Amino acid sequence: MRILKYAALAALLATTAAPALAVDLTIGRSSEQSSMDPQFSRTGNNQMTAEMIFGRMVQFDENLQVHPGLAESWVNIDPLTWEIHLRAGVTFQDGTPFTADDVIFSIDRTDKVPNSPAPFTDTVAAIANIERVDDLTLRVTTHNPAPSLMEDIGRVFIISKQASEGMTSDDFNSGKATIGTGPYRFINWAPGEALELERYDGYWGEQPEFKDVEIRFISNDAARVAALLSGAVDLIDAVPPDDISRLQDNPAINVVSVPSGRVIYLGLSMRMDQAPGVTDLQGNPLAVNPFRDAKVRKAISLMIDRELIVDRILGGSGVAAGQIGAPGLGGHAADLGPDMQDLAMAKQLLTEAGYPDGFGITVVSSNDRFPGDADLAQALGQMLARGGLKVTGVEALPYNVYSKAATAGDYGAFVFSLGASTPSTAPLLQSLLHTYDADAGKGAFNRVRFSYPAFDEALAQAAQQFDPETRNRMLEDVTKMVAAETPIVPLYWQKVHWAMKAGLTIAGGLSEDTRPQDVESVK
Amino acid sequence: MTAFIIRRVLQAVLVLILTSMIVFVGVYAIGDPLEILLAPDASMVERAQVSASLGLDKPMPVQYWQFLVNALHGDFGRSFVYNRPAISVIFERLPATLELTITALTMSLVIGLPLGLWAGTRPKTLVDESIMTGSIFGFSLPHFWQGMMLIMIFAVWLGWLPSTGRGEIGTVFGVRTSFGSWDGVRHMILPAINLSLGQTALMIRLTRTGVQETMPLDFVKYARARGLSERRILFVHVMKTILIPIVTIIGIEFGSLVAFAVVTETIFAWPGVGKLIIDSIGVLDRPVVVAYILVIVTLFIAINLVVDVLYSFLDPRIRSRAR
Repeated sequence: MRILKYAALAALLATTAAPALAVDLTIGRSSEQSSMDPQFSRTGNNQMTAEMIFGRMVQFDENLQVHPGLAESWVNIDPLTWEIHLRAGVTFQDGTPFTADDVIFSIDRTDKVPNSPAPFTDTVAAIANIERVDDLTLRVTTHNPAPSLMEDIGRVFIISKQASEGMTSDDFNSGKATIGTGPYRFINWAPGEALELERYDGYWGEQPEFKDVEIRFISNDAARVAALLSGAVDLIDAVPPDDISRLQDNPAINVVSVPSGRVIYLGLSMRMDQAPGVTDLQGNPLAVNPFRDAKVRKAISLMIDRELIVDRILGGSGVAAGQIGAPGLGGHAADLGPDMQDLAMAKQLLTEAGYPDGFGITVVSSNDRFPGDADLAQALGQMLARGGLKVTGVEALPYNVYSKAATAGDYGAFVFSLGASTPSTAPLLQSLLHTYDADAGKGAFNRVRFSYPAFDEALAQAAQQFDPETRNRMLEDVTKMVAAETPIVPLYWQKVHWAMKAGLTIAGGLSEDTRPQDVESVK
Repeated sequence: MTAFIIRRVLQAVLVLILTSMIVFVGVYAIGDPLEILLAPDASMVERAQVSASLGLDKPMPVQYWQFLVNALHGDFGRSFVYNRPAISVIFERLPATLELTITALTMSLVIGLPLGLWAGTRPKTLVDESIMTGSIFGFSLPHFWQGMMLIMIFAVWLGWLPSTGRGEIGTVFGVRTSFGSWDGVRHMILPAINLSLGQTALMIRLTRTGVQETMPLDFVKYARARGLSERRILFVHVMKTILIPIVTIIGIEFGSLVAFAVVTETIFAWPGVGKLIIDSIGVLDRPVVVAYILVIVTLFIAINLVVDVLYSFLDPRIRSRAR
């Protein structure tokens, strides 16, 4: 009798397992946006969500290359003047037509959102003046020649002037002002839980396949995988590398993996006369900072077996790197491969540099920033020890503690990462390797304080080229030129994984975005 | 009683100010929010702009002073991440946590008390041994692992229950609650079980010990001698005596459950404050962290006050002392 009762209860629970609302696609996402205001924060999570609802003047493909978006074409009248022709026939999700006024309004607002923790200031910094020629034509003048103008202002999300004028970020969160030209319409956002979207049938571009979409925010890795396995969600992002092989063996699950633009590197600080954590073999300070010698930096790069790291620590979730910019980005030098492990050569370089018996070194990393970061530090420690250095310690710290200390220069040898969000490698090179110059705003993330004036000069020249092909070719040369100095030790580009029900697929790319418009059924 | 409450409130204010200072300095010492909040390719112009707009460019004592002055006006600052008042970000998510906690606590009482009484009145029998052994599992299995197992069994293998989120939230008497819809209740089951297992074990052990200590006492013998039924002795007289430690524990545990439901909330993607606070610490959203700790400290103080008042109702001796 009792068993019957349990069976009845189980049956009741099971029959109601289907969601109450008909949703065509449910996505389990690891990270949530902090606001629905597309101009509030320039961080990846917020941009990813904004791309579902809002359009931009240009579109970025899976390799972050620029294609016409709300702007159909653009021409340089002279080095300081641009004429931008907007796409005709585009409507906002409330039915009003998209015009030049909306662009001017959006660009004007984007660096003035109050209390923004990551403002879009840089994207519009080049603009001296923007004026309306007619409904669908704009003329932009810049302070200085700005070849990357369209890449920069193309990142600004276009909001409707009529719907958003005078509105605050709160009005976007409630949906009142959340009116864009993108493929999906905002329905509801329950913070910490889910975002509901509906396809916008008046979208000017290709219509996405799924109409009603729900995006659930599940930050815990194991819980996200469980949600996919239980059928609660159809697709998850940021699949932990440890689970990849198990999911790949499951016939009901399809796994999509792509290399991302995020490079993981080992920084060797040349900042101070004494590198923190670096000593002689007895533990005493060295007379000079060994990392200021390019031979020592190269020797350390040669001690590292990148393939082994990718294979054993990441379970294959990486691509060994020999430079900063990932394949696919403009300026990636295809013939510049990763350093192969060569302990004899490393030893020789160390001897030439005056450290035949090595020196003491401490390797530091974060432990919660990207998959395997703490294990990576351990492995690097072992590899450097085999290569002839005396590893005195390996430390792994939470990112919120680690990031501040790394930027302040507290570490001698440290693991860090840098993601790509631009079509070319120029911004990456400039923030990571350009001589640190606070006044000029260059070398913002040059934590190792590498400085090579000839490289700075060559990079500036490349960045001034208006013709993308010339620019990319020059960037390749610059990349090879600086690689000879081993300014940082590139380790690998991360791979990112999505897992989904068999029968679905996603077009993922360097930006690591998880957008419903990229998901489709396999025919 | 009035003097007692006034004294308690003054103590509370002092505790709150000290806590705010410790937390403020602590979060300040951990790291720099700008490192985490800014876009990875932000220029120094952007860095300076954000630093000024969030007030992070001022020295720490000045920042704390401004916080104190604003707090006295009821303004606990705006979240760096959400750009909304920290207090409203917290209170928006508090109901979800409270609902989960109260459900879990109720479950632990409804299951734990009877089992504890049952085991306590039959010491050294098979029933007692099985209940006590079972309760060891409740204690010792890691919370996190329990949660994952619940999901594996009931959501992945059997497919009976959902494992993420709150589901559809209905309205009962004008209050938005998970109990307003069948879907909401089904979403509540697994996280509530996960959160209540440890508490249930605690309840069982506490009740059993209480019963075993009280049963041999003289007043029980007298009650038996007076011819009272075994049921009345157990549920009225014994119960009243053992309830004091249980009320204390419920009070403390309720506070801890609210404050530390974070593991359950993270596993089941429950949109409560526990998850919010962990995320906020991760990105050094100082206004939210400070405001949250203050809310929780206030909660603990209030609970302890209620527990003290409850004692006096349960135990006449305390009542006469208070007077």
